[in-house]
Amino acid sequence: MKAVNGDALSLVLIGGSSGSFAIFEEILTLLVRPISFALVFVLHRGKSSVSVLPELFRNKTDISMSEPHHLDRIDSNRIYFAYPDYHLLIGPDRRFYYDLSEKDFFSRPSIDATFISAAMSGIPVKAACLFSGSSADGAFGMKLLADRGFATYVQNPAEAESARMPSEALKLWGKHSILNRNTFSTAMQNIIY
Amino acid sequence: MVLIEYSELEMLISRIREISGFDFSGYARPSLLRRASRYLTRHDMNVEELMQHIEPGGGIVYDLIQEMTVNYSEMFRDPEFFIKVKSEVFSYLESYPTLRFWVAGCASGEEAFSLAILLKEAGFLERSLIYATDLNNRVLNAAREGVFTLSSTRTFSENYLLASGKGSLSDYYHVAYSKAVISPELRKNIVFSLHDLTGDGVFNEFQFISCRNVMIYFTLELRQKVFKLLYDSLSMLGFLCLGKRETLRYSGIENNFKVIDSTLNIYQKIQ
Repeated sequence: MKAVNGDALSLVLIGGSSGSFAIFEEILTLLVRPISFALVFVLHRGKSSVSVLPELFRNKTDISMSEPHHLDRIDSNRIYFAYPDYHLLIGPDRRFYYDLSEKDFFSRPSIDATFISAAMSGIPVKAACLFSGSSADGAFGMKLLADRGFATYVQNPAEAESARMPSEALKLWGKHSILNRNTFSTAMQNIIY
Repeated sequence: MVLIEYSELEMLISRIREISGFDFSGYARPSLLRRASRYLTRHDMNVEELMQHIEPGGGIVYDLIQEMTVNYSEMFRDPEFFIKVKSEVFSYLESYPTLRFWVAGCASGEEAFSLAILLKEAGFLERSLIYATDLNNRVLNAAREGVFTLSSTRTFSENYLLASGKGSLSDYYHVAYSKAVISPELRKNIVFSLHDLTGDGVFNEFQFISCRNVMIYFTLELRQKVFKLLYDSLSMLGFLCLGKRETLRYSGIENNFKVIDSTLNIYQKIQ
């Protein structure tokens, strides 16, 4: 599969599980202007989760949001949410791919699946962030992204509703930047704009 | 976790083709990359070691092919899909004296058994034949046995009730040696058979084809070929069902179908 050249595309990846929903909401409200990258959220959800995140978050930002379909092109200035009960993969041809292999850490979508595929895709990752959650999902993907020279951020475990996920990421790689509560908005704005 | 680069994946694909004749070149690379990486991790080896282990007559290459093609499914996956099939599709089928269904890419039979139950409860099963095919012999053998773990039947039962099943899922299996065995009555109208959507051709004409979450395996190019096969296998006004994240977009046959349900991806052939 050949990588696609041409218009620059970069990604910002955001992963989280229990305790991350409100943070995702907060991040969306910070998106007051067009963004120069594609923003991909992976939130652990049950397979029967029927809530459609783009609808749920409709009032938070004007930037277009969707739960992509298989083979949809990944575009800048758009927000994408992983769909329940599938892994969401990012292809070197700048398309989304779904996968129905086993769960990672009892999760599908898994954060690692998306983050690892992004790291392998060759598409530049402007930033990857990992928030509250109660499994080790995402730790490996975060380290891989850091190894490849991309900026990585984890929520301060002491301030996370579930500390496990950010803790595991830091255990595997101690040099992720820490996002603290009191400076969160500023830090996120700096990442985004 | 053992990783594999796209360039190494291409080498692996060539090697598999040389040794076994199985051709992954039309398969979606991101998914193959993930599956190959999981295989290496589980067997604690790197790509070079795997390449060396793949040799004529050895079992590893088949093990790897199974791993890379296996699909995880459930009975009554997406319960609302089955409700929709009942309400939107079954009325069209009433006039047919015999009915042929095809579950293309049936894995361990979950979808075929679900469909059989749905047909049974609607009074169609006696005049229906369900062809359930897969290219993966191992899962197909599991399907023929119709045996599931009790823990998976819990999920299946929940799905069945959400799909407005008329009784209890346990009406359709018995428990033996701590496993759930699908009842023979349900299985007698199902034919499980080996069929590769990417290489084999049309083998019958169907009023209904369920091919959910199978297209996600293929590249854009191969997908079009498979869609053509499904189209050619459908009778006029027959139904085609795809998975929730799949669409007829880029299929080459999108203009030949009417959308019955755009969320659950149920389509009807109209030309």
